[in-house]
Amino acid sequence: MAARPRVYRAEGVILRRRNLGEADSILTVFSGSEGKFDAIAKGVRKARSRMRGHLEPLTRSRVLVAHGRTLDVFTQAETVESYRRLREDLEASAEALYCLELVDRFTEEREPIPELYALLVASLALLQEGAGPSVTRFFELRLLALLGYEPHVEGCVLCGGRLPEEEALLSPAAGGLACRQCRPEAGAGRIVSVAVIKLLRFARRATAPEFAAMRVPGDAAGELRTAVGELIRYHLDRDPNARRFVEGVGALGREEPSPPSAPDSPL
Amino acid sequence: MPEAGAPEPIARLVQEFSKLPGIGPKSAQRLAYHVLRAPEDDARALARALADVKERIVFCGTCFNITERDPCGLCESDNRDRTLVCVVEQPLDVLVVERTGGFRGLYHVLHGALNPIDGVGPEQLRIQELLGRVEAGDVAEVIMATNPSLEGEATSMYVQRLLQPLGVRVTRLARGLPSGADLEYMDDLTLSRALEGRQEL
Ligand SMILES: [Zn+2]
Ligand SMILES: [Zn+2]
Repeated sequence: MAARPRVYRAEGVILRRRNLGEADSILTVFSGSEGKFDAIAKGVRKARSRMRGHLEPLTRSRVLVAHGRTLDVFTQAETVESYRRLREDLEASAEALYCLELVDRFTEEREPIPELYALLVASLALLQEGAGPSVTRFFELRLLALLGYEPHVEGCVLCGGRLPEEEALLSPAAGGLACRQCRPEAGAGRIVSVAVIKLLRFARRATAPEFAAMRVPGDAAGELRTAVGELIRYHLDRDPNARRFVEGVGALGREEPSPPSAPDSPL
Repeated sequence: MPEAGAPEPIARLVQEFSKLPGIGPKSAQRLAYHVLRAPEDDARALARALADVKERIVFCGTCFNITERDPCGLCESDNRDRTLVCVVEQPLDVLVVERTGGFRGLYHVLHGALNPIDGVGPEQLRIQELLGRVEAGDVAEVIMATNPSLEGEATSMYVQRLLQPLGVRVTRLARGLPSGADLEYMDDLTLSRALEGRQEL
């Protein structure tokens, strides 16, 4: 049998960084080929480090990694995409950070899920183009589906019956929508509107750009965010930390370009 | 992990040292045995210095830098431009900017940067206090000097958004190439920003 190669290559998105000692960092990478893994970047916090900018969180990089006794070690890193416009947009970076946290929380180390990696890369590209929070909704729903947690939304999850075109109960514990008759057995959940049910169904068929291009009225978007957020919370057994940040940024209101001469305040 | 059979005071010292950043169990052990061998006066001086840093150092109630008295020397000085406030992540960053000798304004120490994934939100930083300073008048320009990292940039954008309605000018440090860095290994982000900040020769 061939000996295990001493180094391996991977392309991935840097999910997070923890500092180690004076100058090193441990970085968590989510890659298509290796899945999620941790490795040490030696000396990366020094200003002259060659790898520094290539291993920032929210960077897509090609890395060369050497097997180590306890932790693997990065030996080379090269940026594929630095997501500059994404980083320079507060709302978009909040959404992106939330997606990164979901990947980190939902995946196990060294379990490759190439479809999830492709989804992450596609979603970051869309967020960078300014596609907004619907990208995150699609990301959440697809991530749940890829991990085997897809909610059943085409009919009643309990009796299999067709759902009339009316609001229904979305129950994370039952694993999908429940019809009026089955509601008592469906456990805790949230009543969702016809608009949200249609969006949940559309997300199963659409591509990320198609879903992101959908015009969703504000209240349906908010309702979908809450409903999907409850699915995430159920499977994660907690809320992702970054959700509070997304909400906090949302509460600030979009940046308005200030007019050259502001009219006098009526006060 | 303290070695089996080490007397309790030594084991305890090893354990305390290993809580320090960058100190592994081996280094902690080395430090503990070093203290054990050191002259008694040295050991007492270390203990006193440790106690003093907690007892005598406070945060300045205005800029939140570390100081022996509140307000700190910088905030109290008549020689500083009170219309300029430089916002940094850590007290150490104040020293770094001061060392350049090129800044005559005041500071504001946030005590960290937003790190949404690790759960560090705006309420854990001294952001409200900064808003309070700007609302109180005097400040004409806020210079964001957070780190050029993902967290530092997010913090800078977030603070900028909060300050915007107050009508204060908000700037940030130009981002160039670190001196001594090798162009060949520079990442695109740093390089493209350095290009934008280029200057006439
Ligand atoms: Zn049913
Ligand atoms: Zn002060």
